[in-house]
Amino acid sequence: MRPKPRTDGPLPGPFRESFWRSPIRGPWLTSVFGLVLLIGIPVMFATGLFSYAAYNPNLASVNDETPGKGLLGFYLFSWPTHPIWLYRLNQGTHVTLGLVLVPIVAFKLWSVLPKLFEWPPLHSLAHLLERISLLAVVGGIIFELATGILNIQTYYKFPQGGNFYALHFYGAWVFIGGFVMHVAIKFPAMVRALRSHSMWDVLRTNLARTRPEPLDAGGLVALRPDPPTISRRGMLAFAGGASALVGLLVVGQSLGGPFRKTALLAPHGQEMTGVNGASPDFQVNMTAEGAGVTAADAHASTWTLTLNTGVITGTGMPPGGTDTVSKVTTLTRADLLKMEQHTVSLPIACVEGWSTENQTWTGVRLADLAKMAGVPEPSSMLTRSLQKGGAFSRAVMSQAQAIDPDSLLALQANGADLTLDHGYPARVIVPDAPGVHNTKWVSSLTFRR
Amino acid sequence: MRWFSRLYGSNPLHLLVTIACFAIAGYAANKLAAGGDVKGILIWLVGAVVGHDLILFPLYALADRSIMTVFRRRPPALPAVPWINHLRVPVVFSAILLLIWFPLIFRLPTQFQADHTTLPTSVYMGRWLAVTGALFLLSALALAVRLAVGGGRRRQDRAPSLVRSGQRARSGQHARSGQHARSGQYEDVASALGLTSGAPAADPHERLPRVDHPR
Repeated sequence: MRPKPRTDGPLPGPFRESFWRSPIRGPWLTSVFGLVLLIGIPVMFATGLFSYAAYNPNLASVNDETPGKGLLGFYLFSWPTHPIWLYRLNQGTHVTLGLVLVPIVAFKLWSVLPKLFEWPPLHSLAHLLERISLLAVVGGIIFELATGILNIQTYYKFPQGGNFYALHFYGAWVFIGGFVMHVAIKFPAMVRALRSHSMWDVLRTNLARTRPEPLDAGGLVALRPDPPTISRRGMLAFAGGASALVGLLVVGQSLGGPFRKTALLAPHGQEMTGVNGASPDFQVNMTAEGAGVTAADAHASTWTLTLNTGVITGTGMPPGGTDTVSKVTTLTRADLLKMEQHTVSLPIACVEGWSTENQTWTGVRLADLAKMAGVPEPSSMLTRSLQKGGAFSRAVMSQAQAIDPDSLLALQANGADLTLDHGYPARVIVPDAPGVHNTKWVSSLTFRR
Repeated sequence: MRWFSRLYGSNPLHLLVTIACFAIAGYAANKLAAGGDVKGILIWLVGAVVGHDLILFPLYALADRSIMTVFRRRPPALPAVPWINHLRVPVVFSAILLLIWFPLIFRLPTQFQADHTTLPTSVYMGRWLAVTGALFLLSALALAVRLAVGGGRRRQDRAPSLVRSGQRARSGQHARSGQHARSGQYEDVASALGLTSGAPAADPHERLPRVDHPR
């Protein structure tokens, strides 16, 4: 970038360099915040892409919230079932880290605010392109944080009819395009700025000895700084403290157990009361009421499980191909209880970041039901719920997920029959599947050849 | 090469990176727009930038400067230690928590309990207020301790913010005087930062030394 003279331009107010007075604003401070984001944001992006892969969107149209993704699904792979804590860790990291980065993003934006009012606004074609990319970076990061933060609070006031998945996924790619460009351009300047003053010296410099950085070509350092009211180490502690506070008040909802109570400001930071008001129950994110399932629908005397086999004809998966389904048998809850029962210990982990510690699930192996249907090695398995409509009333599991010995059609949780909110009469529980794919109130299973 | 730089404003690599990144972002933006609500998304994207840079920030800056001005006009009441951060920190911490959790705090997601979690939203306002109260209390306690312990002793090197405004650096010319290049030896940095023993009293108009590295 062409160095420009550091003098006041013709415009008043924030367009004037001397309008900006912070004595600690400068390349070094900006670079420290930038470095934190340079580490944090790729982790956010990677965990986000993993979470997207965990839905196995290429397996079936019902799994795919973004059917138009095109090349952006290039990296998709069959989501594994082990280690069983993988999705829990991935999503806890994604959501907690996103929240913890909110203060860092705010401090970083504060540190570069004079650049918004840079005058003249453009001095070359390269500079114009950089400023356009900044809209993707700044608009993009706020857009991603805002959609994520509103979604975990079930406050679906998004544009586009509230389709969170499409907004957050495509928005992430728009942002990352701008982010990569920003990093490519600014990385050398960041390294130079970080090397210009040692962190150790800054940490040993109190307020009285805090001085502005030397005037920089980029226009961050104030021409006429006010006397400092906070040291640089104070500013770092300020930003880090805000981050730590947000994190401490939220991480308990992902750790579970005794830590849940510490998540004072988190959607799943309260203990859930069981049916009898007794011991704490584990968390849910879709109640029977929300799913439109009544106790009458899910009554053991009338409920049956239908086992189907399916053949996909035509090209590829639906919607390209057509699912031809033939019914094999129906089973009552009593029939299921007569089959060989297995007990597994698995967590529930939600895309929204909260999770439970391992719960003890008892029921019939999905693999046994596949054998009963005559398809011991299904290419995939479609689950339908009694749930009325909604995006996740159906889900498709891969072969690896369907025949994993830990994958159950669970009838009991923690030694008692499932409660209605936990999916009575029967629910799917598959290791490492996102919570919404562990379909509750199951009405049929279709094993595809 | 030189003609390119003059025309474009940077090197060819810059242009290649730019095109590659714009291609990725543009491809995804096209998918985003395919959802149909282009206006809604643009309002969000631009609204995010405007909301932060042109509304939130000026409000914050105005509040910060106002409070400094108000307190400066009452010099006898000013403590001898830097006090402003004892106000800034709890205010900003509390505001960030509100910014993140306002839907739950104001009980906006109406189906949160019935359709989703079975958990009430009524607790969040109380929790946020309690955390805010605790932050202010801790901050006040910390200030009280600083006043009791260090108030008198620190009077010598107290914050320049408490110096009368007339003494503050006003001249850009003067401010630039600290810009001269230094050799970058550690001793130089340490002495300028006042880290060496017997360092002279710091001049508030001085700048950090420039440390030059080979490019």
